[in-house]
Amino acid sequence: MKGQRVSSRDILQEWGTKNFRVIDKKAISEITLGASILATGGGGDPEIGLLWTYKVLDEGKEILMVDPMEIPDEIQTASTACLGAALVLTEKPPSGGVLNLAIRRLEQYLERPIQATIPIECGGVNSPVAYAAAGELGVPVIDVDGMNRAFPELQMTSWVTHGVHSSPTVSVDNRKNITVIDTGDDDVLAETLARRVAMAYGGISWIATYPLTGRQVRETSILNSQSIAWAAGHAVMCARQEHLDPIAELLKSLKKERDVEGFRVFRGKIVDIRREFGSETNKGFTLGQVIMGGIDEYKGQTASLDFQNEWLNLRVDGEVLCLPPDLIAILDSETGEPIRTDIMKYGYRGTIVLIPAHERMRTPKGIEMFGPRHFGYDLDYVPVETLNG
Amino acid sequence: MTGELRVGFDVGGTFTDGVLMRGKDVVVKAKSLTTQDVTAGIVQALDALLNKSRVNPAEVAMVSLGTTHTTNALIERRNLNKVGIFRLGAPATTAIPPLTGWPEDLKQAIGGVKLVHVIRGGSEYDGRDIVPLDKQAIAEACRKMKGKVDSVAVTGVFSPIISDHEEQAAEIVQEVLGDDIHITLSHRIATISLLERENSAILNASVITVMQRAVNSLKTAVSERGIKAPLFIVQNDGSVMSVDYAVDYPIFTVASGPAASVRGSVYLSGIEDGVVVDIGGTSTDVAYIVKGFPRESSITVTIGGVKTNIRCPDLLSIALGGGTIVKHQGEKVSALGPESVGYNLVRLGKSFGGPLLTVHDTAVALGKLDRKLEVFKTDFVTHPEKVNALPRKLVDNAWAAVKATIEEAIDKMKTTVEPVPAIFIGGGAMVVPKEGIAGVSKVLCPDHFEVGGAVGTTIAEIGAYAEGVVDLEKEDRDNAIARVTEQAKDNAKTAGAIRETVEVIDVEEIPFTYMPGKREKVRIRVKGKIL
Repeated sequence: MKGQRVSSRDILQEWGTKNFRVIDKKAISEITLGASILATGGGGDPEIGLLWTYKVLDEGKEILMVDPMEIPDEIQTASTACLGAALVLTEKPPSGGVLNLAIRRLEQYLERPIQATIPIECGGVNSPVAYAAAGELGVPVIDVDGMNRAFPELQMTSWVTHGVHSSPTVSVDNRKNITVIDTGDDDVLAETLARRVAMAYGGISWIATYPLTGRQVRETSILNSQSIAWAAGHAVMCARQEHLDPIAELLKSLKKERDVEGFRVFRGKIVDIRREFGSETNKGFTLGQVIMGGIDEYKGQTASLDFQNEWLNLRVDGEVLCLPPDLIAILDSETGEPIRTDIMKYGYRGTIVLIPAHERMRTPKGIEMFGPRHFGYDLDYVPVETLNG
Repeated sequence: MTGELRVGFDVGGTFTDGVLMRGKDVVVKAKSLTTQDVTAGIVQALDALLNKSRVNPAEVAMVSLGTTHTTNALIERRNLNKVGIFRLGAPATTAIPPLTGWPEDLKQAIGGVKLVHVIRGGSEYDGRDIVPLDKQAIAEACRKMKGKVDSVAVTGVFSPIISDHEEQAAEIVQEVLGDDIHITLSHRIATISLLERENSAILNASVITVMQRAVNSLKTAVSERGIKAPLFIVQNDGSVMSVDYAVDYPIFTVASGPAASVRGSVYLSGIEDGVVVDIGGTSTDVAYIVKGFPRESSITVTIGGVKTNIRCPDLLSIALGGGTIVKHQGEKVSALGPESVGYNLVRLGKSFGGPLLTVHDTAVALGKLDRKLEVFKTDFVTHPEKVNALPRKLVDNAWAAVKATIEEAIDKMKTTVEPVPAIFIGGGAMVVPKEGIAGVSKVLCPDHFEVGGAVGTTIAEIGAYAEGVVDLEKEDRDNAIARVTEQAKDNAKTAGAIRETVEVIDVEEIPFTYMPGKREKVRIRVKGKIL
C-alpha cells in the first residue's frame, strides 16, 4: 500500500464524523463481559484478549468506536478474528501485530486500504481481540458484528445470509505465514479451508475476513451489536457493585437497547455432563449434553441443553423452550458471570436466560443456515418468544 | 505404621497447633502463638509436645507441617528472590509479555521487567517446534543478568506436553550462571495456560530462598532435639512432600493450611467421600472430599495479586460463623451477618450480657451448647439465663436461617443428588444445627477437630499428577489413560512415595474445542504411601 497509516481520529475527521465513543479499559471490560453473555456458552476465555487490549491502551494507542450510520458508503472494511482451538490460544497467545499483518495482506489482495474493522461475533476472544487489533492498526471499530452471539463456523453470519461473503479471507500465524482463501461465494468451503489452515498452523490462525464496503456493512450486519454488548456488560457490572439482581438488570438493558424481552426460565445446578466424540454430526466441535436439576422455585424440574461449542437448545421436562439461532445463557445467579461449555463442571449453579436472536439472524436463509435442522434436529424453528410467551 | 510416632504442625494466622500421634491416636496436643518468622512458633510447639509426652525423640518416625512461610512472603513482598525470567515462545506470545497485569510493588520486589527475556522457541501442541530454540539469545541474556539474579524461571509454550526447550534452556542457564543458581521450569509447576503457568513459575522462583531458610532452620531444630525422622511439608492437595522436594517447589505450599484441615477431618472421621464444613468465628469453609482428598478448584487462583493456575482445594467460603450477627426485625430474621463480632463475642454477644444477637447466642438459648473445649482456654462461661428473655420465635427463626445457609453451601459443593456424609469441624461447629440437614446422610463431629489441621499433616501420603494431550483417533482411550497414569506414578515416586502403593484419585479429560479430530487433555492425580 502507498501512503502513510493514519490514526483513527484522522480517518473519522476525513469522513466528517464527530459521533464516536472512546474505548478505555473499563469500556472494553464491559463490552467483553456483555459479549461473553451473548456468546451463548461459547466464544472462549476473555483473559488473553483483554490483556492484549489493555497493553495496546497502555502503549498510548487510541481505540474508537463509530456508529454504522456515520460511515461513508464506499469505504473498505474487514473483520478481524482468531479462528482455531480455544485451548491452544490460552497456551499460545499471539504475537503483537499478527492481525495487522493479516489486514495489510488483505489490503494488498484487494488493492484498497482498509479503513475500519469489525468484530466477527460476540465472544470472550473475538470481541476484545478485534479492539486490540483496531488499536494497533489505528483504525476505528464499527458498532456492528455478524452475529450478536457466537457461532462455531465462519459462514454463520448475517453477512452470508444477506448475500455478502467471507472471501477473500487472509489467514496468518505468528511466524508470518500467510494463506489467502478466495472461494468466491462458497462460504462453507472457505470455512473448511480456514479450519484446515488453522490446524496446519498449530491449532490457531488469525484472520482478516469479510471485506465489506461501508454500504454493505449497514445493509447486512447486526447494527449496534457492540453497543448492545456494552450495555449488557455495563448493566451486570453495575448490578454487582450495587448488589442488584444482575439478571434483572441484564434483561432491562436488552429491552432498552434492542426492545426485546429476554426470559428467565430456569435456575438449577449441573448434575450431569455427557461429552461425545465422533458422531457423524461432529465436524470438529465439542458436542454433548448437560443436565441441570432445578433449585428453588424450579425444584423437581429438569433442564437439558445440547451443545456444539455453544448451547444449541434447551428443554425443560422434555418441553422445548429454545432453538437456534436464539440465544441461551447460563449465568451465575449472584454475579451474572456466564458459564461456558468449555469450562462448565458438575455442580455449577446458574440461571438460564433466553434471548431472541437479532432479526437479521432470523431470515429464512438464516434459519436454513443455522436453524434447528442445520444442527440435526427434526424440528421447525419456533421463535423463543412464542415458545415462552 | 500403626505404632509409629508422628509429629505434625499446622501454622495458622494466630496459633501454631502441634500434635503427637501414635497410629490414629492423638497422644498430646499443643498450641503456641505463631511468630513473625514462623519457625520459632513451631519450635515452641515442638518443645511443648516433647515435654508433655516425655517420648523418646529418637522414636519419632515422621515430622510434618502445614506452613504459611511462602504465602506470607508473597503477600508481604518480603525476602523475595530477584528472578531472571525466560519465556520461550517468540515470535508467538509477544502481544502479552511476562509480568503483564502484576502489581507494581511485587514486580519491583522480584527485580522488574529488566530481567525479562522473551526468546524464540517453544512448541506447538503436536510437538513440532514453533521455531528452533534460540540458544545463543539465552546465553547472552544470562551473561547480562549474572550477579543480578538469585533464581531463574523458564516457561516454554506447550512445555507441559513437550518440555525439551525448557530443559535445554535450563542447561544453558546452568552453564553460564553456575550450578548454584536455582531454576524453576514451568512444566514441573503447572498445566496448560501459558500466562498463568508462567506466573506460577515466577512466583515459585521468587520464594526459593524463603523456603530453603525455613527448611534449614527446622531441620536444625529437629535434629538438636534428637529427632532423626524425615521432614515433610503439606502441599496444596493435602498430601505431603519431602522437604528436599519442597525447597524446589515452595509454591505448592500456598494452600497448605486449608488442605491440611480437610485431610485432618477426613482422618479423624474415617469418612473418605463427602463434605467438610469448617465453621469458624466469622466464616465457614466448605470443601468436597473425593477418596480422602479435597476436590481441586478448576478456576484461576490469585496469589499476592497475581493470577496463577496452581491447583488448590476448591473451597466455598461463606460469611457464617459462631460470631455472625443475627439481624432481625421483631421475631423475623432479616439477615445473617455478613458482619461478625469475631473475638469480641464475649463482650458483645447476648449470652455474655452484650447487646448483639449472634449465632452463638441462639445455640445457647436453645440449650445446644453442650461441650466446652479444653484447648480454648477461657474463663468465660455462657449464661443461658441472659438469653432467656429472647422471644422463642426469633431464636427458632435464627436457628432455621443458619440451617438453611449451611444446607445451601453444602448443596453448592455437592455433585450428586444422593445424600453424602458431612464432617463438621472448627470452633463454630458446636453452635450450629447438625440434625436433619438436607442432602446429608449423617453429620460427624470428630474428636480433636480443634487440632484437625495438625493431625492432617501427619497422614503419610504423597500426592502427584501427570498430564498429556492424547489424540483419540490415533490412540485407544484406555491406553492413553494408562500411559499418563504410569507417568503420574513415576512422579509420585520422585516425590517420595513407594511406587507399589500408588493409586489413582482422579481422571480428568478436557477436549480441545474448535479443532477437528478427537484430541483431549488427560490429567491424572495419584496418591501413594511413604511409610
